[in-house]
Amino acid sequence: MKVALDLAARTLARLAVLAAVLFLLVPLLVACLLSFDDRSFLGAFPPQQFSLRWYRAFASNPTYLDGLLISLQLGLVAALIATTLGTLGALALMDPRLAGRDALEAVFLSPKFVPTVVIGFSLLVFTARLGIFDPFTRLVMGHVVITLPFTLRAVLASLIGVKRSQIEAAISLGASEARALWDVAVPAARSGIVAGAAMAFVLSFDEVAVSLFLSDAFTQTLPIALVAEMRANLNLTIAAVSTVFLAATLLLLLLLDRTIGIERLAGDVGARG
Amino acid sequence: MKRGIHLWLLAPGLLLLAMLMGGPVALLALESLKPFIPGSMRPGEGWTLAHYRELLQPAYLVYFWETFRIGLIVSTLSLLLGAPLAFAAVRSPRAAVRKGLLALLVGLLVMSLIARLYAIEMAWGSLGPLAPLGALLGFAPRHPRYAEVLVGIGLLHFTLPVVALMLVGTFRALSPRLEEAAASLGATRSDAVVSILLPLAAPGLVSAFLVALAMCISNFVAPLVLGRGVVVFTTSLMYTRFADIGNYPSGAAIGITMLILAFLVVYGLSALARRLVPR
Repeated sequence: MKVALDLAARTLARLAVLAAVLFLLVPLLVACLLSFDDRSFLGAFPPQQFSLRWYRAFASNPTYLDGLLISLQLGLVAALIATTLGTLGALALMDPRLAGRDALEAVFLSPKFVPTVVIGFSLLVFTARLGIFDPFTRLVMGHVVITLPFTLRAVLASLIGVKRSQIEAAISLGASEARALWDVAVPAARSGIVAGAAMAFVLSFDEVAVSLFLSDAFTQTLPIALVAEMRANLNLTIAAVSTVFLAATLLLLLLLDRTIGIERLAGDVGARG
Repeated sequence: MKRGIHLWLLAPGLLLLAMLMGGPVALLALESLKPFIPGSMRPGEGWTLAHYRELLQPAYLVYFWETFRIGLIVSTLSLLLGAPLAFAAVRSPRAAVRKGLLALLVGLLVMSLIARLYAIEMAWGSLGPLAPLGALLGFAPRHPRYAEVLVGIGLLHFTLPVVALMLVGTFRALSPRLEEAAASLGATRSDAVVSILLPLAAPGLVSAFLVALAMCISNFVAPLVLGRGVVVFTTSLMYTRFADIGNYPSGAAIGITMLILAFLVVYGLSALARRLVPR
C-alpha cells in the first residue's frame, strides 16, 4: 500500500514535470513552424507548404528595422549604465559590516516590484515637467531604472564566495581599499557582471510598458512596433521575428554556458527578491 | 576611510534611483490628488481625493478583482508545476536532465516575452493546434471570455520559469542528506519529500508564490496582446486613462494604488508569511 502510494506520487510528479516542459516548449515550436508557412494568410495548423516569405517580409519592413536599430542601441546603453552602477553598488553591499545593508539592498531591488506602467507613466510626467522631450534620453532613463536591480542582484550573487578577509589581506599588503576591490572582488564577480549585463540587455530589448509611455511616433522600439502590429492584425511576420528571437536566445544561452556555465548562471539570475 | 569608499560606490545607484524613480513616483502621487479638467492636459488647482474614491465604486473594483482572480489562479498553477520542475532540475539522478531543465528555464527567462505571447496566441488561439485543449478549460475558443484563458496561459508562461528558478535556489540550499536520513529510517522517497523537504522549503514556496502574484498583477503586455480588449487589468485601465482620455490625475491614482498593492503583496504578505511559517 505504502509502496503503491509512493509510486503514484512519483508518477504524478513526473507527469507534472513533463506537462510543464511541454507547456513551455510547444507554443514556441508551433510559432517556429508557422513562420515558414507559404500561405499568404493565417490558416489552420499545420502549414502545407514552406517558404521564407515572412522572413523576407520582416527584412523589407522599415518600421521593424528602424525599431530593431533603436532597440539594440537602447539595450546596449541601458545595460552599460545599469551594469556599471549595479556592480559599484554590489561591491559596497558585499561588505557584511555595512550599516543598514539589508535596507540598502531592498532599495536597490525595489524597482523590480514597481509595476513597469507606473515607472513609465511617472517618468513621462517627470520628464515633461523638467522639459526633457528627447525620446531616446527618456527611454534610457526608464530602462536603466528597470534593469538596475537585475545587474546588482547578479553581481551580488557572484560575490558570495569572496571573503572579506581576502580584501583585508590585500589592504594589509599595502593596497588601497579601491585597489583591493578592483584586484580581488571584481575578477571574482566576472560571471555575475556578464550574467547581469546579458539580463539587462534582454530585459530592455523586450520592454513594452515603459517604452510605450516614453517613446514617440518617430522613435519606436521594436517591441512597440510588434505589439501594435499584433493588436491590429495577426500576421506571420511576427512568427518570423519570434523565431529569430528564439534563435538569438539559443545562441546567447550557448555563449553564456561556455563562459559561465548554466548551473552557475541559474544561481546568479534565478535568485530573486 | 572605509565608510568613504562605500559611500562612493553606493552614491551613483542611489542617486539615480532617487532621481528617476523616487522623484517621479512622488510627483505622480501629488498629481493623483489634483482635480481633472476635461479637455486639458494640465490638472486643476487645489487638492482632492476624488480619483481614489472613484476607484472604490463597484464599476472599478471589478477590474481589481479580475486582475487578482487571474493572478491568484496563475500563481497557484505556477507553484504546482514549478515545484516538481525545480525539484527535478536539482535532484534528478541524471545530469543531462538537470542541465537540460536548467537550460530551458534560463533560456525562457532571457527569451522575449512578446515572442512567447505571440507563440501562445498561435498555439492556443482559435486557429491553433492546442485550441481543443484550451476549450476544456471552460470556454469555446471563439467565445469572448476565452481571452481570459489566453491571458492566464500567457501569464503562466511568464511566471513559471521565474518561480521554478527561485525554487531551484530553495531546493539547492537543502541537503539531500535529509531525504537520505528519512529513507534510512524507512520513509519512502515521496514520504521524505512531503514530510521533510516541503516544510523546510515552505518559506521559499511562499515567497515564490508572492513574487508570481506580484508579477501577474503588475503585468501589462499579456492582457494587452492576448486580452482581445475583453480582459482589462488595472494596468490596462491606467494606460487607457492616460492614452485615450488624457485624464492624468485619475491614471496617476490608479498607478499609485497599484504600486501600493504590489508592495503589499511582496513585502507585507511575506512578512506575514514569515510570522505564520517559522523557519
